[in-house]
Amino acid sequence: MSGPARGDEPEGPDELTEPAGPDRDRGPAVSPGEVGDLPSARSIRRFTAAAGKARAGASLTSLLGDVYYAVISVAIGAAAAFGIAQQVRASLPPAPRVAPATSLSLPALVGVALLATAGVLVSLAGRLGPVGAGGAESAWWLALPVGRRGLLRPAARRLPILGALAGGAVVALLDAGLLGDTPRRTLLAAGAGLVVAALLVLLATVAQSVGVPRRRVALVGDVVLALSAVLAVVLALGGTQLAELPVPPGPLLGVGVLLVAVLAWVVDGRLDSMPARSLRESGSVATQAMGAVVSLDSRELGRALTAGSSRPVRRWVSRFHGVRGPATALVAADLAQLRRSPRHVVQLAVAALIPWLATVVPQLANVPGVLVSVLVAGGIASSAAGEGARAGEMNPIIDRMLPLAAKTVRRLRMVVPGAALLVWALLAFAGLGRWAGDPAPWLVLAVLGAPVWAAATVRAAYRPGPNWSKPLVSTPFGALPTGVTTVVSRGPDLVVLCLLPTWIALLLRHVTPTFLMLQLAGAAIAFAVGSSIATGTLMDRLFEASGGAPGSKPAAAGR
Amino acid sequence: MPQPVARAQDLLVGYGGAPVCAPVTFTLHPGRALALVGSNGSGKSTVLRAVIGLLEPSGGKLTVLGREVDERTVEFRSAVSSVLDDDAYFPSLSVAEHLYLVARGHGVLDAWDRVDELLDEFGLVDHAAALPVSLSSGQRRRLLLAAGFARPRSLLVLDEPEQRLDRRMLSALTDRLLAEKASGGAVLMASHDPELVRAVADRALHLDDERNELLSAADAATRIARIPA
Repeated sequence: MSGPARGDEPEGPDELTEPAGPDRDRGPAVSPGEVGDLPSARSIRRFTAAAGKARAGASLTSLLGDVYYAVISVAIGAAAAFGIAQQVRASLPPAPRVAPATSLSLPALVGVALLATAGVLVSLAGRLGPVGAGGAESAWWLALPVGRRGLLRPAARRLPILGALAGGAVVALLDAGLLGDTPRRTLLAAGAGLVVAALLVLLATVAQSVGVPRRRVALVGDVVLALSAVLAVVLALGGTQLAELPVPPGPLLGVGVLLVAVLAWVVDGRLDSMPARSLRESGSVATQAMGAVVSLDSRELGRALTAGSSRPVRRWVSRFHGVRGPATALVAADLAQLRRSPRHVVQLAVAALIPWLATVVPQLANVPGVLVSVLVAGGIASSAAGEGARAGEMNPIIDRMLPLAAKTVRRLRMVVPGAALLVWALLAFAGLGRWAGDPAPWLVLAVLGAPVWAAATVRAAYRPGPNWSKPLVSTPFGALPTGVTTVVSRGPDLVVLCLLPTWIALLLRHVTPTFLMLQLAGAAIAFAVGSSIATGTLMDRLFEASGGAPGSKPAAAGR
Repeated sequence: MPQPVARAQDLLVGYGGAPVCAPVTFTLHPGRALALVGSNGSGKSTVLRAVIGLLEPSGGKLTVLGREVDERTVEFRSAVSSVLDDDAYFPSLSVAEHLYLVARGHGVLDAWDRVDELLDEFGLVDHAAALPVSLSSGQRRRLLLAAGFARPRSLLVLDEPEQRLDRRMLSALTDRLLAEKASGGAVLMASHDPELVRAVADRALHLDDERNELLSAADAATRIARIPA
């Protein structure tokens, strides 16, 4: 039966039910040719991999060379890291016989740090999938009528293995650097870290396979991270002293391994029922994150981890009542971005606690310990506060829509990070002041240092892309691309140079009026540098002035 | 009465619980083509994503071949061929190998012969050994469309198939879709091209956030032509 003539007025939706031919619901109606048995998923994976290998142009010698190079680099890196950890361990003073009322023992701090690491791992596992299919795989594999298990097995193994290795390494470093007195203990601790990390990632995979949204798993990780900070405060204020952090005995570790095997089996069994939409989303994020890691682009990594794990539609629309013009619009938008990213708010809160925690752990309450804690915490807080600036850098068209000069945009982008980092600095430096015995000048130092952190945040957010054409410098850890390091150092350079008075005050454990004056000058310099729209380094500009080959292009107008 | 290939009853689709258009109702039988038309953002692609199982409906009922949409089943994936705007390819697989992967992956026995025919039909013979990265955007689009026809299917879902195609290729695609209907295949497509809709579709559903309207293909073509560029 033919369909209605074109141009006929339809009588209703059900008019389309009129069939055009005989019932063809037994098997596909249209086929390009004779259809036989379906191939196995494994053969499809092998066909794709074989084509890749055939066109890779890599000989066995070059492959072995790459493996050798990678193994040597990892071994040197691991040896160096454990060497540093041993040095830290050897330089730690012994625990006091009588602990102060407000204090945290080193084992308790490590316990809290392990809880925080678990939170970060779960959060990352939620954001990255854990199981996903990249762009090509999702477009060309997932629509095939073959079992997904065979296609997804390698992807399903990847993140639990990576997570386990990362977990084992973190635990091993923490134990060797702060607690471990025997290699056997450190090995057992590393084994426990490996097993627990694998369990956490596998649990996240099970959650994904039963349809739990990625953002919910990520939120669980963020909550655990926040709880670890709260736990640290409670333990420190309560003066709870944990004399030793026990490592699990071998048999318990064996049970853990058994649990990992069971969960891995459960995950394997559920791969066939993984919905394509979840695999596509996770694969897209993982591909973006992997690209960011390979190209050493921390901004892109942040975007990858943030995108897709936030709610797609807001329950309410911000009215932006305080907006009076383009300047306030820009600031309000930055503030909304920060407010709507719970991960970054949690990061800011945790970062505010880190320096204080260092001052209440007797073995870390010394100049090196506190200095390192401020640097680490400042880095975390700065990264968390720069979401608006990073978004502006990614979409320069947003900035250009507003009638504002590029320099003014940079300055306005410092407002929200400045406010957030001022709160962070006041909380962090209040702890430092208590440690140094005179809080007031430290709080002034915090106020004067906050603009430097804000300027560094914006400078880092607007840094140009890495220049891979510059020469490599050979180091014991492998070849170091100079065109990348000069770019990655934009932002941290301001922290190092313009906060010099703060660093010296920390080294001396004393703030003088001269330091405050110098810090004020440092803030002014940082503000000027952070407002600059030039993207080339001083060396690049000298090259350009002399007619030489520039290392990087000048900044685009408006950026 | 044969069972419909796809049926939607008060289907609600959207993101984060917010529907992108009014509830959608349609029934599509074998040998028929339904076009989804409407302005940008009216929900055409979102409806298609729900039909192929890439988006969970937030309300209403949606069945394909008499069953609720579940793209995890082999039966569903065997029956539904879709060409969306996925511009992603295996970097090491040639054009012909991509098509072979699809055909052989669906159990087509003489897959290389079918691939040769499709390469010829979609003007890709000269690029059979090329890697997708070396193709123009129009050629990549032709590869995606060819892949949609390289496998058995009962329902063909196309999202703006006219995109990046020249007039000659668009005409060839029109003939291909008419042949698809004549062979008993059902076509569900979103389109902004009045000529394609007029030539291929039996009916068109105009999507809007207030009210969806079932139109004849001719009326839909006229409506599309009125949408400002």
